Amino acid sequence: MAPTNTSHRQTHNLLLISKLLSLRDTASPLALVLDSLEQPATPLIKEYIRRAKLSKVHITFVAFETLRPLEGVDAFVAARKKSPLEIIKAVNAAYPNVSTSGPSRRRLILIDAINPLLHARRTDAHFNVSSFLSSFLMPQGPPTVSKVEASLVVTFHQDVPSPPLPSPYTPSPLSMLTYLATTIIRLHSFSHILAQKAARDRSLVPPVFGLEEELDGVLLGRLDKPIGNESAQGVVLELEHRRKSGRGVLEWYILPPASRYPPQYAKEIVTLLDDHPLYRPPEEPDFGAGEEEPESTFELRLTDRQRRDREGVVLPYFDAQQGDGPGEGGRILYDMGEEDDFDEEEDEI
Amino acid sequence: MPTQPPLPPLLAPYVSSLPPSSLIVLSTVLGAQGNWLTLRYLYAALNALSTSDAALSFGEGHNGKKQKVVLVSFLRGWEFWRAEAKRLGLDLARLTDKRQFAFVDGLSELFAGPRTTPTPTTPTTTNTTTTQTTPPSLAPSPRGGPVPQRTVLPNRSAPGPIPARGPQPARGPAVAAPAPLAPVAPSAPPAAPASREVGPVKRLHLSGKGPAALDRLEKDIAAVVGHLNGRATASAEEEDDSEVLLVLDQPDLLLAATGPGKEIGATEMTEWVMGLQQYVHATVMTLAADLPLIHNASAAGHQMPTPLETEHAAFAIGSAHRAHLVMQLRDLDTGAARDVSGVLRVSKGGAWGQSDNTDANGNWEEKEALYFVQRDGGVSVFRRGE
Repeated sequence: MAPTNTSHRQTHNLLLISKLLSLRDTASPLALVLDSLEQPATPLIKEYIRRAKLSKVHITFVAFETLRPLEGVDAFVAARKKSPLEIIKAVNAAYPNVSTSGPSRRRLILIDAINPLLHARRTDAHFNVSSFLSSFLMPQGPPTVSKVEASLVVTFHQDVPSPPLPSPYTPSPLSMLTYLATTIIRLHSFSHILAQKAARDRSLVPPVFGLEEELDGVLLGRLDKPIGNESAQGVVLELEHRRKSGRGVLEWYILPPASRYPPQYAKEIVTLLDDHPLYRPPEEPDFGAGEEEPESTFELRLTDRQRRDREGVVLPYFDAQQGDGPGEGGRILYDMGEEDDFDEEEDEI
Repeated sequence: MPTQPPLPPLLAPYVSSLPPSSLIVLSTVLGAQGNWLTLRYLYAALNALSTSDAALSFGEGHNGKKQKVVLVSFLRGWEFWRAEAKRLGLDLARLTDKRQFAFVDGLSELFAGPRTTPTPTTPTTTNTTTTQTTPPSLAPSPRGGPVPQRTVLPNRSAPGPIPARGPQPARGPAVAAPAPLAPVAPSAPPAAPASREVGPVKRLHLSGKGPAALDRLEKDIAAVVGHLNGRATASAEEEDDSEVLLVLDQPDLLLAATGPGKEIGATEMTEWVMGLQQYVHATVMTLAADLPLIHNASAAGHQMPTPLETEHAAFAIGSAHRAHLVMQLRDLDTGAARDVSGVLRVSKGGAWGQSDNTDANGNWEEKEALYFVQRDGGVSVFRRGE
């Protein structure tokens, strides 16, 4: 059961993440990236940009908290001090309206952090996250000649507290976003995952880091090499993907640091977390190959001849079951071996 | 105790050669104040050319560029910074004359009405809502650092949504401040000669509501930055190379003192800081990261967090997300010690690695060290066990 399961996951789920990150087939129109101070979304966003560059997707970056455009971004929309409507207008204007290119063009819209918008006082009560986000995916106005397939990647900082809700019955922005999203990627730091797994393997309470430590004055707990382990770098992606059929897929992946591969590398670099040698060390080759026996100075094994002899022993109750009549049973029948010496007193037959 | 070098070697890579358009967040708690670290940033920027030994070993990022500093302080006055910098060997008044340094006083007249002269006249001329004068429940007194000798105390309006927690009755001037205004204020900045118009002390005034009020503050600070830059071009010597470092000392006061009542929240503050960042080379911002200010908002269920807690936490954590480097100061975990003032943890912020320029941030690695502030203001930074 287990090996088939793993190979199934290896083929299907790796295909899925590669489809999602490369924005193929518009597998997921709205991806929600939940990051925290312990693992910021920057590596994943850069990976999105890298893959979009490879497949020539137009990238629009909506910057709520970034000042400088990231490398490789086609259009940079500074959302500072803009109302939601102005942002939508600017984003839609950022896409070059070329009707000559192929049947369908793809574009990627990255939002670096949605929190400031949700927090802003300028967003009035009528502001609606879902209509705001869907207006990116389905732009209003004159229908263009070529259909544009837009994918939206929204980053949400989990650790930034949400503003108080206007009404006790409105859902929080995070639950709204998780409801809308077709893909949710939660980010974890690989070294933290390793530390927590090591604790769980010993049935200890897994450690927490950063803000969750609730220490006075600690905002970030992340240190580069907490255990002096160079290779424990990378971002762990906890993926939840909702298929069109409604079935959900849950999987854990690891994205290696960008320094490990060249920027033009076209092969899939994301692997399953379970396949990572540090998370699940490869089993020893001779482990479980033969029956393990306790080692001692005595010879505990039987030779073949001894085993044959032992099987040949007819135990007394077998003889008693022969039913030769009462009185007949209960005798010990013993064939003398050559190594036995006959004792007159004890072995009277 | 031997005298310490002004820039501890362990600290030097983090305070000098800041990458362009970077934000560095310096989080402090009540027991571990960051004045000394702010001063080290001032020192590294202003003294980079004269002390070539530190610049030689660490400051390859300087490239001989002249660094200028604009210090916007919301909690401490000019006199405090001048005295503290003097202990490091920095003459801020002289540097102000040389247009290498500018001080912006964010506290003294923040809520007083706009005036042209630096000396306030009478409280009757205050035109806006500042009619009632309450004894200012000042922000935490710097227990870790040296206590300021004299502080300019503000005549400010009652802070609306702030619960008056932790008033500091021990401060001498606080008692004298509220009643007579005219005698106190003119003598407050003695180091500021009236002859300088832009002078060492530019004072911020907050008027109006919401983002518009912040825009005005931004314009004021931008004018100071432009003044430093403009003067350099007039003197015509390596003017293009000058980089301005902006130091924002506890702008969270602004957030705490205004709050949702004035339509200023975390997002508006963040955008204000972003706006300021556009004018300067690099920005250093100190923030309070005390437990109640950060965690009350996220500890769900127990109690409704106050607006101040929510907004402050959102501002502080959001700033850490935007920062390249977060320098966290906190108390020693094992309690107070005679020869350790606190713990300094250097972590990479959320914006780390956004630019592909690796050589700009090559020599930063995350680190945790202990520090000790001596009585003479010298600071030693050392690893555990050293």
